[in-house]
Amino acid sequence: MQSLGFSYALLPVLKKLYPDRDEFEARLRLHMEYFNTQPYLASFILGAVVRLEEDRAAGRASLSAIDAAGLKAALMAPLGALGDSFFWGSLKPLAAVIAVALVMTGVWWAPVLFLALYNLWHVGLRLSLLFWGYGSSGDAMALMERYSFTKMARLFKAISLSVLGGILAGISGWRPEFASNLPLPGPVMAGAALACTLIIVAVLRRGGSPIKFMLGLALFCLALAYAGVV
Amino acid sequence: MFDLHMVLAITGVALVGGLIGLDRTAAGQFMISQPIVAAPLAGWLLGDATAGLIIGAMLELIWVLDMPIGSFVPANATVSAVTATAVAALTSPGGAPRSVLGFCILLSVGTVPFTMMADTYVRTWNSRLLDAAHAADGADVARSLSRAHLTGLLAFFLKSVVLYVLLLPAGLVAAALFLRSPDRVRVSMELFLMLLPLLGAALVVRRLSISALDPFLLTGFITAGLLAMVLHLHAVMITLLTVVAGWLGVRYREHRS
Repeated sequence: MQSLGFSYALLPVLKKLYPDRDEFEARLRLHMEYFNTQPYLASFILGAVVRLEEDRAAGRASLSAIDAAGLKAALMAPLGALGDSFFWGSLKPLAAVIAVALVMTGVWWAPVLFLALYNLWHVGLRLSLLFWGYGSSGDAMALMERYSFTKMARLFKAISLSVLGGILAGISGWRPEFASNLPLPGPVMAGAALACTLIIVAVLRRGGSPIKFMLGLALFCLALAYAGVV
Repeated sequence: MFDLHMVLAITGVALVGGLIGLDRTAAGQFMISQPIVAAPLAGWLLGDATAGLIIGAMLELIWVLDMPIGSFVPANATVSAVTATAVAALTSPGGAPRSVLGFCILLSVGTVPFTMMADTYVRTWNSRLLDAAHAADGADVARSLSRAHLTGLLAFFLKSVVLYVLLLPAGLVAAALFLRSPDRVRVSMELFLMLLPLLGAALVVRRLSISALDPFLLTGFITAGLLAMVLHLHAVMITLLTVVAGWLGVRYREHRS
């Protein structure tokens, strides 16, 4: 899946380390084997592989071809799971939920904040992981000790949920496009929004894709409109 | 309907959308391709940033946790968001009304199967590029690899462009039909837009929490409710304080355990 990009990123290093064409080609072909992990944490593996290749070219270690391949094979699955859970499962939702909370109240610069919040972590980690992978030669245990991804993921998920609660509580202050004409006091509206959301969550837990639920909601609204309720 | 201005607009959206789409998987992944960024950008280029902001925010909530785990190819929310925004902006040049916004978000659902098929096809084709580079003779392997890499980027760009060129005219026709629909259909789309944040919030809660009544959700709800009612704080400040409330909740839980 990502072998093309990984081996392309290694090209300049391999060219520099292996002036002999046959050896260069052999090493390049080795890195063109199957590789798939979380794209940001691939930086860690990339750094580690560069270090291994440097050691090998300098004769500092008697590494066989299996070592670099073995390292990649050993790291890609666990780092993939870790990165998916942290970046896709907690950091992105956190940045998104905060930005949506601001959009709902009419803040136009919410997308800029989203990019800033996400990329401060993303770019910072991506760069430092490259050097950390190089420095530690791919010591995944040291990586786990340095960055508590699981703990941070738990924190980000909790904050995302808290902000979501805030969005629901602020329903009476939502921008006009989402405003309701119902003559109800703010706290009642907020309570109804929370109750409706929890009911939808309960229905969602029974299964189904977002597409089905969007279509279902549209049909529900159409039925209400034709019934004269709205 | 499809005059020169419209054709130029569709071409422009297709090219810009193609570039934005590269950020999704092929290059960078700085999240410019996320609906909350891509849609306002497309809306701003077409003169209706507000439509982009609203469509982007809703599609962000709905698709944010549709994750590309392993070899799973998720829905292409970028194409959906940009298509929906472009249709809204081009259909209502003076600013899209609520019913059109709701309809365009619903319309984006129809793009999902096509985008998933196209993404799967291009990824499969992309993996064949590597096989071709592998099969190259001798010293040509580096050159083949570089060419394959750049061809892959071009393939992802062209895939998005083709999708926009096909989906945008179809979307514009659908929107034109919608504008001629009975009042009740339009009213239903207004209600659909108003209820979407609840569906979006529910989709996120379902994926982030395993408990039926999540304590952090309630913490944020009560904090924001009290701050708004008692102190009448600005929305930005309330959001910031719900972040703090969530953080304190985690610290409290850690302290207790």
